[in-house]
Amino acid sequence: MAGRFRPVGLVAASTALLLTTACGGASLGTGEDQQSGPVKIGLLVPQSGTYKALGDDMKQGFELYVAQHGGKLGGREVEIVVADEGETADSGKAAAEKLVKQDRVLAVSGVVSSATINGVKDLFETGKVPLVGSNASPTTLTGTKYIWRTSYVNDEPGKALGKHVAERAGGPVFLIAAGYQAGKDEVEGFKSTFLPAGGTIAGEEVYTPFPGTKNFQPYLAQIEKSGAKAVFCFYAGGAAVDFVKQYRDFGLAGKIPLYAPGFLTEGGVLKGQGDAANGILTALNYSADLDNPANKQFAPAYTAAHGTAPTTYAMASWDAAQVLDKAIKAAGSTVTSASVNEAIARVGDIDSPRGTWRFNSGGTPVQPWYLREVKQGANTVSSELGRLGG
Amino acid sequence: MSGWLDGNFVSVVDGVAFGLLLFTIAVGLSLVFGMMDVLNLAHGTLYLAGAYVAYALSDGSMSGLLLALLAGVLVGTMGGAALTFLTQPLARRGHLDQAVLTLGITFIVADLLAASFGGDVLPTDPPTALRGTVGLLGHSYPVYRLVFIAVAAGLALLVYLVFERSSLGALVRATVADRDMVRALGVDVRKVLYGVFASGAALATVGGVLGAPILGPGPGVDETVLVLSLVVVVVGGLGSVRGALAGALLIGQVQTLGVALLPEYAPFLLFGTMLIVLVVRPHGLVASAVRA
Repeated sequence: MAGRFRPVGLVAASTALLLTTACGGASLGTGEDQQSGPVKIGLLVPQSGTYKALGDDMKQGFELYVAQHGGKLGGREVEIVVADEGETADSGKAAAEKLVKQDRVLAVSGVVSSATINGVKDLFETGKVPLVGSNASPTTLTGTKYIWRTSYVNDEPGKALGKHVAERAGGPVFLIAAGYQAGKDEVEGFKSTFLPAGGTIAGEEVYTPFPGTKNFQPYLAQIEKSGAKAVFCFYAGGAAVDFVKQYRDFGLAGKIPLYAPGFLTEGGVLKGQGDAANGILTALNYSADLDNPANKQFAPAYTAAHGTAPTTYAMASWDAAQVLDKAIKAAGSTVTSASVNEAIARVGDIDSPRGTWRFNSGGTPVQPWYLREVKQGANTVSSELGRLGG
Repeated sequence: MSGWLDGNFVSVVDGVAFGLLLFTIAVGLSLVFGMMDVLNLAHGTLYLAGAYVAYALSDGSMSGLLLALLAGVLVGTMGGAALTFLTQPLARRGHLDQAVLTLGITFIVADLLAASFGGDVLPTDPPTALRGTVGLLGHSYPVYRLVFIAVAAGLALLVYLVFERSSLGALVRATVADRDMVRALGVDVRKVLYGVFASGAALATVGGVLGAPILGPGPGVDETVLVLSLVVVVVGGLGSVRGALAGALLIGQVQTLGVALLPEYAPFLLFGTMLIVLVVRPHGLVASAVRA
């Protein structure tokens, strides 16, 4: 039976492969001094799959900062090693292992998905290599010494919006979100500030099956029936485009104000939504039209290089490079993963395109939040919502 | 109108639209599996290819949509012919081999499509003339979806007439029932085979072209569509146009009206319905006369 599928052979071959990769680079070489030559920084971002667009944003933000500083961080030449996070915790973990054990990088930045960051937590904590993450930040990630995030904690965009919506809605608010962890985090965050401020919820909160929901019509019918005066929703990626377009198609846009965490209208999805997004109000820690010196240095340069306004993902990655820049400089004569991590803890105020922020004791930012409105296909700042993260 | 119907009217109408979309996609899968005994798991990929064709050719004009429809028919016919050619050698080896082969094809094509169109869901707008909403008994409803209902209903009627009421359809059914007898009558059975597969596949890509504004192209959409089509075929009954229509309209309502009434059970409604139908009618709502 030549040519027949032989499962036994396949299993043996793949087991052998797995064993060789697992044993490869078992020695950790991160303690060694990187005094001469360039420092290696790992970028763990999706280069394929669903999150590729997000990964590209982050890579471009990080690389822009390095390019604007003569290819150096903290006065040292930088070699950026990019590893593909892929779509799953497994692919992300494999890429992180490669960066830490094989490439022996000084520090790592990036990470899109919460599943990945949970999966690589031990690798960085026991390997004593700093991870300056610039996106993924689940509420459950706490008590780490080597994992920092320049983005925000997942429930903060909702938290930032709650009080404002309670004051403005003038009646009950309908809550709807994608049915996975991030959606639940955002809704809980929203409720934590919305309810104490006197807000009322229209009916029951609704979690739509994720990623299966493409047709939001039945939920939109529910919103209409509920008599809600405003809607708070959480969607990102393809679902954000579907939701926003159908919200307009079924005649809700302009009738019932739509509030959301900024991802609903951030980056590529906004182009897909076109004029359906006009008038949507979102909370985020950044908007490309902010007026401050750091953003003047960042946003026009980014737009010139990539032909599109920078997103919060690019901005947080630019800041991650800035954090490493300051920390490597502060580490002084002994640049090791451990000394850089200690320097990150002491890095203090960061002068960022989002305004000034600093790390709290949990390794996430204390930072300003903004209310943004979509006007003529772009997010524009309409007011400040206060600082969070302290 | 009573209060209940008034409150759920839009969901019922949208269920019809979604059901007719599912019919256009699933009827080809049902015919190819029910009549030709070929399990084609690349069926969702045909929809996805059609949706990308619509995205690439949509420019806001009606002629752009017509061009996309023509291109969709072409892509579907060629895709169907290619799939027939590839699955032919496996005809006697059973469904598992066919499933593995066609699933492999879906992975390859999905990667090729992602490489050319990127990883984002690409929103495809209907022609400018069909955008906007229309008042429907005091509710707003998208114009395009109403037009889609009319076009898809016409398609469904056409498919029914060809397969169930014409001599061509009779020939197809005869080929399924007794291949040797048809061969003895001097008919080239292979042509019938290619014809059914190609038209079933073309229906799926046309579904993709027409459905792009409702269920836009993006990574993973092929799997979504395949699962929905399989459920429709199983619920409706194999190899029957009427069965596919009944199954599609039922699943369409389950996915819209059902979700509107019982949002907390949304993730379970689809398979729950399938379970109930199979317990009551193991061969589906309309068991095919040929295979029963």
